[in-house]
Amino acid sequence: MKPVISIVLMLPPSTAYGKLDLVAHNVLSGMSKMLESGKVRFSIFMDGPTLEAANREARPLMFGRFRRAIEEGFLEILGGGYHDPMLPLFPSELQAIQLEEHRKLLWKYFSIEPSGYFNSSMVWEMEMTELLEKNRFEYALVQESALQDALGRTTPVPGWYSVEDKGSFLRVIPVSERLSQAIENDDFQWQEIAEPYCRGGKAAVVSLDIPPTPGDIVPFFERLIDFVETNDLQTKTVGSVVNDQSSEGRISFLLSAGRRIGLPSKANTCRELLVRRPEVNLLHKSLLSLFRRSSTSLKGKERRELFQMLLPAMSPIFYRDMPSGVGMRSPMVRWWGSRFLLQAANMLADKASFDGIRLEIADFLLQGRKLILAENHSYSFMMDYFGGGVLRLLNAKNSEMSVLSTWRDDGEPALGFLDFILPNSDFSASRLDQFMFDREGMLNAPYDYQIKRHDDGTDIRLLSEQPFSLADQQGVVHIDKGYSLSAAGSDFSLSYNIQNTAFAPFKGFFGTLIEVGLMACGDKAGSIKVNGHKLAFDFREPLIYPEATSVEILDKTTTSVLRLDFEQPASLLVSPMFSASASAAPEDFQGLRLFPFWKIGLANTEEASYKLSVHFAKR
Amino acid sequence: MKSDLIDIQVESRGNDVEISLSGSLGFAQFSAVKEKLAMLVDGPGCFFFLNLQNAHFTSNQYIDFFLELLSRAKSQKSALILVFDSEEQYKYFENVRNIFEIYENRAAYKKSGFRKQLQQIGIHYGTPTGISLSPSVAVCFLAMMFGILVTLFVIVSIQGHDISDKQAQIIALQNQKERYIHEIDKLESSIGPLRKLGVIQDTTMLSSFGLIQDWVGYLEYLENTRLER
Repeated sequence: MKPVISIVLMLPPSTAYGKLDLVAHNVLSGMSKMLESGKVRFSIFMDGPTLEAANREARPLMFGRFRRAIEEGFLEILGGGYHDPMLPLFPSELQAIQLEEHRKLLWKYFSIEPSGYFNSSMVWEMEMTELLEKNRFEYALVQESALQDALGRTTPVPGWYSVEDKGSFLRVIPVSERLSQAIENDDFQWQEIAEPYCRGGKAAVVSLDIPPTPGDIVPFFERLIDFVETNDLQTKTVGSVVNDQSSEGRISFLLSAGRRIGLPSKANTCRELLVRRPEVNLLHKSLLSLFRRSSTSLKGKERRELFQMLLPAMSPIFYRDMPSGVGMRSPMVRWWGSRFLLQAANMLADKASFDGIRLEIADFLLQGRKLILAENHSYSFMMDYFGGGVLRLLNAKNSEMSVLSTWRDDGEPALGFLDFILPNSDFSASRLDQFMFDREGMLNAPYDYQIKRHDDGTDIRLLSEQPFSLADQQGVVHIDKGYSLSAAGSDFSLSYNIQNTAFAPFKGFFGTLIEVGLMACGDKAGSIKVNGHKLAFDFREPLIYPEATSVEILDKTTTSVLRLDFEQPASLLVSPMFSASASAAPEDFQGLRLFPFWKIGLANTEEASYKLSVHFAKR
Repeated sequence: MKSDLIDIQVESRGNDVEISLSGSLGFAQFSAVKEKLAMLVDGPGCFFFLNLQNAHFTSNQYIDFFLELLSRAKSQKSALILVFDSEEQYKYFENVRNIFEIYENRAAYKKSGFRKQLQQIGIHYGTPTGISLSPSVAVCFLAMMFGILVTLFVIVSIQGHDISDKQAQIIALQNQKERYIHEIDKLESSIGPLRKLGVIQDTTMLSSFGLIQDWVGYLEYLENTRLER
């Protein structure tokens, strides 16, 4: 008996491409070849930007031929989100816009309404049943492993099942991962694998990835035609599988964490990524914060326009713990994501005619404690006063760059102005770098905050007793840490007043750490200047520069310039930050660690003060 | 960490300061709200908008505090405006509705009367500068300033017209002069060969104008004599 296969073709999300038009052109050529062969019926999913690129690249009458192929049952175009997002992560209004925008495109180009829902990450949660039914979908493709978990078995799951939630109903079709891999890898045992799925004339549903490199796309389609012809396969679209076959049963609960998002197989939901990766969580929460603000401050068309600007930041590429341009381990991907959000934030400021200083104290990260978000026309930052008065987010609005965008493999967030008291010893650069990496000697006790508004701007004063230990000695200092914001300038200053409140005197070093993601986007030809002179830094080994009064970093790729001016000359540690690459060696450059520090020695009740200012510019 | 219990947003822009409170505000949050709002209202600002649209009060203590805040704002010569548009809040502030200025949003207050806002700005800036004007004097002063500006504009535009006329005349005269020079050069070049052959006698040397050889100078001389006359 001939196996019946239902082939679903998919492209990685459009945000992964530099040359989307070329990719779309080659996909159209490949699709035409498939249809011309007259032997392959298949389903395909393309996200919104890829469909638009396809429309630009399509030859005359090509879309007409596709439309006829759809009517004749040779082709099925699946629906989904405009940017193919993992829907459970986002507010329902944004979910609906994503589905609506994609459906509009399919109607515009092919005059069809999709009945099948596809998401390349294959994330599934029960709440999606209601959403998809409301958006007139009849069936959704899910991972076979999720259905196996739901059914409590490990054997192949053919056919389709039904799910219901809050009175809504949907059909779910498992995609056989094992068979998909076997066909993709030209495994000669594929027929044996397909056999259990195809018993009784049923069809096995497989999902095949179209290669992302433009040159590989047409050969991929040719190989697929050859595969179908050689094996004399019968192929079907997913829609006809649903119509031709009856239900295999009902499922009470179905949950899938998704695939290819960098989560371990034991993870239950895609939300696990928000817990594991602070960079993903920060991007996600920044999006939610913008969504909430625009929901309350904008109405009608303006509100819709702003939501449209948030849509690209929902692309799955920004919610994956994966390297090499397809996940958030890549500095370029992090830059793209933050740029989408900063463009939306700038637009929101324009629409709301904002030109002063805005402070917001709320639980932005949804972690049960509040943070302070401060913003003026040229920068914004999010400060965790409960965790040592550190910055969790620092955005240069003009150059649309998130400054603290570096990546730490250990899952710790990159921070700005994390303070340290270190022992009075002769530090080598690499030893000091290790202290910073291990966060040894950090001052992270909670602060109480005060906000002082004055004519020149606003000050956020943080007051706290910070315990520390220097080798065998325990100590306590009272720190008055102040962020001073001006309404008009593109800079803010940070001041420290440190008083020894312990009985015993102490000697050591006081410094503040900033982990910046600048210069990580490929071009390291930019310059680091200390005291106005170019620093001879090889981006491999850390170094300490003595007597620094200013440090300036120019990132040519992102056109961002960050300058720190120190009121008292400081010793400055500059060290590169690396993360593990695919070969497991920590060799992917992710950013820079800057640590200005001063010698400190305080007797009982004695005080010391330090001040630095942070300037932003765009080149 | 009492302040940890409340969500606050402060937006300062020019004379306006908008403070938004959100969440459920009861006994537990009262001291934090009191501390933070008092701290924020202490700063500069002419109009303090207290946005309570997303707040839910579960205690009556807040009314007295808002009255206290109003008198504090007034003592700073500032205005405190409550911003909300919900039945729940109207009900909560029912007994003191006549005391507070309540608007549905900041834009609604801005549209509510220019004179009132101007007066408030006058009151606010009157104290630090020591200058105080009654509304009628302020309006007269503004009208006078407007009149002066209009007059200056008219004078400048008239002078501008005059200057452009004169420039046009100068350009026309310069063109005429260049045309004459050109014609004279042409005439001289046409009689040059004849003069060399001695066919034409140079009578200019015999003229009453002396030794004028430069025709351009001569014409300028004639023009100057005419103007002097």
